[in-house]
Amino acid sequence: MSQTGASLSLANVSKFYGRVRALDGLTFDVKPGQFFALFGPSSVGKTTTLRTIAGLVRPDAGTVTIAGRDVTDAPIAGRGVSMVFQSFALYPHLTVYDNFAYPLREAKVASAEIDRRVKETAETLKLTHRLERKPSTLSGGEQQRVALGRSLIRRPSILLLDEPLTNLDAKLRNDMRAELKRLHRQFGLTVIFATPDELEALSMGEEIAVMRDGAVVQRGTPDELYEAPANLYVATKIGSPHMNLIDATERGDAKSFDTPFGIVGAGARAMANAKGKRILGIRPNDIRLARTGDTALAATVHLIEPLGDVTIVSVEANGQTLRMVLPEQQAIGMKMGDAAPIVIDPAKIHVFEAGTGEAIR
Amino acid sequence: MAAGGFFRRSHGVGEAGWGRTIFAAVISFIYFFPVLWIILTAFKTMNDVLAVPPKFLFTPTLENFVGVFSRPFSAGADSQATNFDLYFFNSIFIAGSSVFFALVIGTLAAFGFSRYPLKGNDTYLFIILTTRMLPAIVVIIPIILMFRVVGLAGSYTGIIALYTAFNLPFTIWMMKSFFDELSPDVEDAARLDGSSDTRVFLKICLPQVVAGLAATAVFGLILTWNEYLFALLLSGVETRTVPVAMAQTIGGDIGVRWGLLAAIETLFLIPVILVVFFLQNHLLRGVTFGTIKR
Repeated sequence: MSQTGASLSLANVSKFYGRVRALDGLTFDVKPGQFFALFGPSSVGKTTTLRTIAGLVRPDAGTVTIAGRDVTDAPIAGRGVSMVFQSFALYPHLTVYDNFAYPLREAKVASAEIDRRVKETAETLKLTHRLERKPSTLSGGEQQRVALGRSLIRRPSILLLDEPLTNLDAKLRNDMRAELKRLHRQFGLTVIFATPDELEALSMGEEIAVMRDGAVVQRGTPDELYEAPANLYVATKIGSPHMNLIDATERGDAKSFDTPFGIVGAGARAMANAKGKRILGIRPNDIRLARTGDTALAATVHLIEPLGDVTIVSVEANGQTLRMVLPEQQAIGMKMGDAAPIVIDPAKIHVFEAGTGEAIR
Repeated sequence: MAAGGFFRRSHGVGEAGWGRTIFAAVISFIYFFPVLWIILTAFKTMNDVLAVPPKFLFTPTLENFVGVFSRPFSAGADSQATNFDLYFFNSIFIAGSSVFFALVIGTLAAFGFSRYPLKGNDTYLFIILTTRMLPAIVVIIPIILMFRVVGLAGSYTGIIALYTAFNLPFTIWMMKSFFDELSPDVEDAARLDGSSDTRVFLKICLPQVVAGLAATAVFGLILTWNEYLFALLLSGVETRTVPVAMAQTIGGDIGVRWGLLAAIETLFLIPVILVVFFLQNHLLRGVTFGTIKR
């Protein structure tokens, strides 16, 4: 039961609902067999994107190409796309068996073949003992697997998952993440999944498209998005704990910034020799406590959040706070109000234009 | 509905306990008493019916039931067949047909209003409902005139068409609310699974609203079954329904035959009770539909 996934490409896709712009020149492409994440908070157009790929939504502009074929105005059938809805959308009046069989019956597959494939799918998803049940009597995890099975049984080349883990409890999520990856390997199909959860996007997506207002603001591997966010939006959405942002001004010497914490070096970064408002982004992991001999920035301890093996310490200077992640033993004995001189690695600083939020590299 | 508890399958005393169960039984009995009294009366002789104080214990007789179908029309005359077998057939046929047609047309219309809303959808729905806002007595004269002109007065077609039209507004409104409750994702899933819009309606939507169909059918049936005014003025000799025939039985030179009327009413109850009994599981789900978040 293996097949190859299809490539997919969206070019300048726009969709309006009345005067609301759901998709705005959306462009991205997915390689065959890729596990691709659409990431962004709710109502940025993730679901509309998936529905457009499936053919449930016809875009007002732009083209959708699947496996090299323009399917923008093609009917749903024949696209080879299936979708697992956030609500699972199981047929409530049909048994698990009939839910699995439905797409095959609609495709007029012979009943012996239907029976064989239903049982095979149930086997793969460990649902054999549930075939005669109605969906409402199943647990959330089982319902999810039924939805997956119903999508996979007709052997699509692209599988769309709309927030596949949102409706599951925390323990099931971990199991399901592994299960989805396993199915992806086993079936070799192209998977595009939408998620509002950065951890899900980072841990599952081979590549991630970060969406805002119906468009992709940055696309890349999890590492690329983490190491080189293209703007403040991506910078603050990716990474946990979130990136610190501090207001800064370029000093005009092409190598340092004025900040509430003092002068921060710009490292090897090439900078225009100009004064201007900037926002500096610093990951909580890229700040450390100063040792003797360091050129340190002055700060005082503001808040201590012990998390077990690490402690998140917020330090403050001139009304601006920074969160830093410290190994647990370094934070022992720390009290609020203590002086805590810090060092920021200049190479790890992200610099953003204050007005537009675009990264300056 | 009042007698609902009576027809439910026995579950013994549940978690509510004896106290509440007995309390509910007393209330149910009070509601059910008029019906019970009619049924008792149907089995009484004329003397027992008129006895003061009323008799609860008596020797039952079936003579009233025989009288429904065959009886002497004046004192001393021979027994003659009444046409009540025809009238019962008429009531069942007319109510059944009109509920059926209203359900078919109304369900399709409701699906359309729910899934393919027009510009000004709510206005159309409101207009449909306005046809039921006028008192029947106001619209009956134009309807009689129209039926006379078209030649529908007194025919099955005419009365069935009229009742279908009567049942349509609430059928559409009720069925629309049932369709509105369904998850559109489920229908989209079916489209992705290769179903046409027609197949989505037949294979996915309709099976999910069976409870709604049952509830709507029963409401329509009760409404049509008991309708008197239009039946009186628009049915002919051959298409007379039981309520009309019943009213005409009241008169006569030997006074009101209460036992006979009670027997007709008892027989008249049976078809509706049977329908409700067979649909009761759907019905309970139907009337609570939408009130519980699934």
